[in-house]
Amino acid sequence: MKHTECKYYINLDCEKGMCGRTKKMVPIDGAGSEACPMFDQAPKCGVCGHFCNADKYGVGMCQGFKKENWAYAGCGAFGCEKFVMK
Amino acid sequence: MNVNEEKMQEVLKKRGIEAAMSEAERSQIAPPPEGVNKLMDIYYVLKNTVDMEIPYWYNRVWWENDGDIINIRRAKAFAAALSHATPNILPYEKLVMQKTKNVRGAFPFPWVTASFFNAQAEALMTEVDAPAESEADRVSIVGAGGGNVTESYGNIISIAKKFGMRKEDIPVLVKASEPWDGCSVEELSTKLAEYTPEYNLHKNLMDNVVCMFDSYAIPQGREVINYYYPLQYGWDGIIKICEKGIHDTMGEAGTDGILGMSRGYYYLATKIMAEGMSKWCSNYAKKAEQLASFETDPEIKKNYEEIAGVMAHIAHKPPETFRQALQLTLACHLAVVNEDPQSGQSIGRLGQVLQPFYEKDIEDKVSTDEEVLDLLQYYRIKITEIECFASAGVTGGVLSGNTFNNLSLGGLTKDGLSAVTPLEYLIVEAGMRTKTTQPTLSVLYDEKLPEDFLMKCANCTKLGMGYPAWMNNQDGIGFMMMNYRSEGMTLEDARAWCLGGCLESAPGCFMPLTYNGKVTWIPGGAGPTSGTGVHFIGIPKVLELVLNNGFDKRTGKQVLPAHNKKLDSMQAITDQWQAYLRKIIEVVNKVNNLQMDVWRKHNMPVVQSMLKPDCLVKGQHLGNMGTRYNATINYESCGTVTFINSLAAIGKLVFDEKKYTLDQLTDAMWHNFGFETAYDTQVFSPDFRKATAEAPKYERIFADCINAPKYGNADWEADKYLKWYEDVMFPMTREYHSYYGKELYMCQISVSTHGPQGFITLATPDGRLAGTTYSDGSMSAAAGTDKNGIYAIFESATVYDHSTQQNSQMNLKLHPSAVKGIQGTRKLLDIVRAYMRKGGFHVQFNVVDSKTLRAAQKKPENYRDLMVRVAGFTQYWCEIGKPIQDEVIYRTEYETV
Repeated sequence: MKHTECKYYINLDCEKGMCGRTKKMVPIDGAGSEACPMFDQAPKCGVCGHFCNADKYGVGMCQGFKKENWAYAGCGAFGCEKFVMK
Repeated sequence: MNVNEEKMQEVLKKRGIEAAMSEAERSQIAPPPEGVNKLMDIYYVLKNTVDMEIPYWYNRVWWENDGDIINIRRAKAFAAALSHATPNILPYEKLVMQKTKNVRGAFPFPWVTASFFNAQAEALMTEVDAPAESEADRVSIVGAGGGNVTESYGNIISIAKKFGMRKEDIPVLVKASEPWDGCSVEELSTKLAEYTPEYNLHKNLMDNVVCMFDSYAIPQGREVINYYYPLQYGWDGIIKICEKGIHDTMGEAGTDGILGMSRGYYYLATKIMAEGMSKWCSNYAKKAEQLASFETDPEIKKNYEEIAGVMAHIAHKPPETFRQALQLTLACHLAVVNEDPQSGQSIGRLGQVLQPFYEKDIEDKVSTDEEVLDLLQYYRIKITEIECFASAGVTGGVLSGNTFNNLSLGGLTKDGLSAVTPLEYLIVEAGMRTKTTQPTLSVLYDEKLPEDFLMKCANCTKLGMGYPAWMNNQDGIGFMMMNYRSEGMTLEDARAWCLGGCLESAPGCFMPLTYNGKVTWIPGGAGPTSGTGVHFIGIPKVLELVLNNGFDKRTGKQVLPAHNKKLDSMQAITDQWQAYLRKIIEVVNKVNNLQMDVWRKHNMPVVQSMLKPDCLVKGQHLGNMGTRYNATINYESCGTVTFINSLAAIGKLVFDEKKYTLDQLTDAMWHNFGFETAYDTQVFSPDFRKATAEAPKYERIFADCINAPKYGNADWEADKYLKWYEDVMFPMTREYHSYYGKELYMCQISVSTHGPQGFITLATPDGRLAGTTYSDGSMSAAAGTDKNGIYAIFESATVYDHSTQQNSQMNLKLHPSAVKGIQGTRKLLDIVRAYMRKGGFHVQFNVVDSKTLRAAQKKPENYRDLMVRVAGFTQYWCEIGKPIQDEVIYRTEYETV
């Protein structure tokens, strides 16, 4: 798992973030991007029980709302009222 | 402190002035709080980033509500976007909320402009499918460019040469953009514009960069926000106002058969948006609670808990402390700058708006001045983080990457007294302690302002960050009364004006804030954008087209219809210049009106329309003229002084002295006076000249052009053309009407367009070489041509009444030694005062040594925090394009004043 998937991850920019526990900058890609044993999954569409049929780009369907619609796995779901962890 | 300084200090102290600083005191400016330093350290290594969370949710809810009333549909979409955005809080922050999940974040608005993304869809997807580069290439491109992502690397794709977007977001961008093909604001208005009689001419003007800005690109901004309603009522209170509005007006047209029915829709849309704002704030409260739940550092944990408390409170109720009030204004500001691509969303007179909250906290001993100062420094970082995603031409060519969130100080109260508050002293102090590009500060100079406040502001200006800039309050009031009188503006409301964007005088009003057991009349914006319109017209380029019968030699195109006139007098030249300019304004204005009319009908602001008086009273959004004043749309010029100096050279050399024929002069111009062009040399500074074999042929005429009368020397032979120009432009702009049915007026700031518009202009009669930048602003002397000192420039600049136009702009560069010590501070204030007393509207200063700038140009990585004043804004040196860097370096540097 990667830092970016972790609920302790704080977004900074397109190439890095910060670990909310250690307060250290962590890269999104390459060496050092793998999460530590404290990893705890962040709410994202990709791990939501309502998300399915993702293609190779991570674009799938959201069935959580009255109207089914497309969604993408990397989208944050902290504020989503329908999010349920898979 | 030397003897003279000590004496000066004594004199000032006897007069009750204690804010002036000696050099020793200057070095004792308190450092920023530790948290601010940590956040700035993070900021300096951040990349500008675009992501798709907000566009995704906007898009999803918009299309799910297909067929709904547009205003309501837009509110549903934007409320969903904000309330689903991932809240992001950094450990050391005391004020929170961001435009997007990334700190320097922004996002595309395909509903405003989708053509670029749709045209590039295939190419973008190809980049996604390409294998990632080697590990070495994955690392960030550091050094020159600061946070700008000018090239793609690793899993990051450069968008608009400024932002990085992760590859995994590209398919989302492509998918979200597809439905907007043919129906974005850009494309709808373009389809309609094709029906205007001379659309091809418009296309010519844009393609040849005679005009360089489409209004839809940044349809909001260059205006002043208004925080009154949330501060007074909170989101729950606004929801109640809307519920009453719905009850009273839904299904009722009143006596207005066209817009009466819209009121019910407006109140419903505004209620939905207020609920979205509330949820957005609540999400931040929940996020802070979550962070606090696992935080082990007691200080950081306490901070998270405080943030959670503040955000939970302002998610519903009006603020009860200064911190809550400041946080709420930030929430409003970020929401507004997220509802459209925009720059120049000005904060307004925040120190007057929040004074009641500050005052009560101090009275109740809830806060100390130092704690308030800390918050104001954290605030500076939050505003500096605001980015605007637009095309490369707009972000780089116009904005230089800045978003111009201007904070005004001073001016007068509703009753005509000094409006300076104790909180404003702290705002200036915060700007001295924490040096960030935003918010830039502007002093509304008035003779009634306290001397110690002015001295404190002068002290701040001396520090070299470019702020505060100085504006003439009486000119501003005069302009307000003239321009908005027909809409019923009173002198009281005129006093509420301030700067929208960097320098756009914008209308305001005072609203009665009831707090702490009393009513305080607080100023805020009361009109829509004061900055979209006919933008930016390179007037030296228009002169070039006059001299070459409408043909652009650079592009080989007939841009304007050939006039075929014999240019045998100055009158003939200036008449044709006016004729061409009239045609340009006529054509561009029609297209601009269509762009903005489509915007207001399909993309009307929903947050801004909640905030701005009198939308909530009228029950009309901003597009339906819900605001109190609507004659805000302008015409904007670029290259004023290059044009004035060019007329002066033609007048003297061709018609007065008859030293050369016009053909001889233009022949020299078309041959760049025998020098290589900036296109070849890639050096844009006016002082760089590389001779060609033809140089001797043009040596004499070039010298005569250089030595012809120049604006900025109190020389009537040049200044008379400025007087003529301003007198001509005042009535000319008022011949045209905006989409609000109101007359246009003239705005005279170049922002950064003097770079690109200089680039497309061949050599000019004043001796400026092809491709080099125009003179900056509108009142600055062309670099290196002001020989008679600062007061001579003031004489030249004030040959006309500055209150007849929206603004004017003068940049001055002072060597730090010129304003050294307390006597230097006094001198600086004297300079400002002298110009203001003569009626000048605006002056701003770069207090910097040109050697430092040259060194920074060579090794930008060593100067990451160096800031300069460009046009109406301060920007990090390393994030400015080279042509503008060259221009700033070459500006005349005054070593004595």
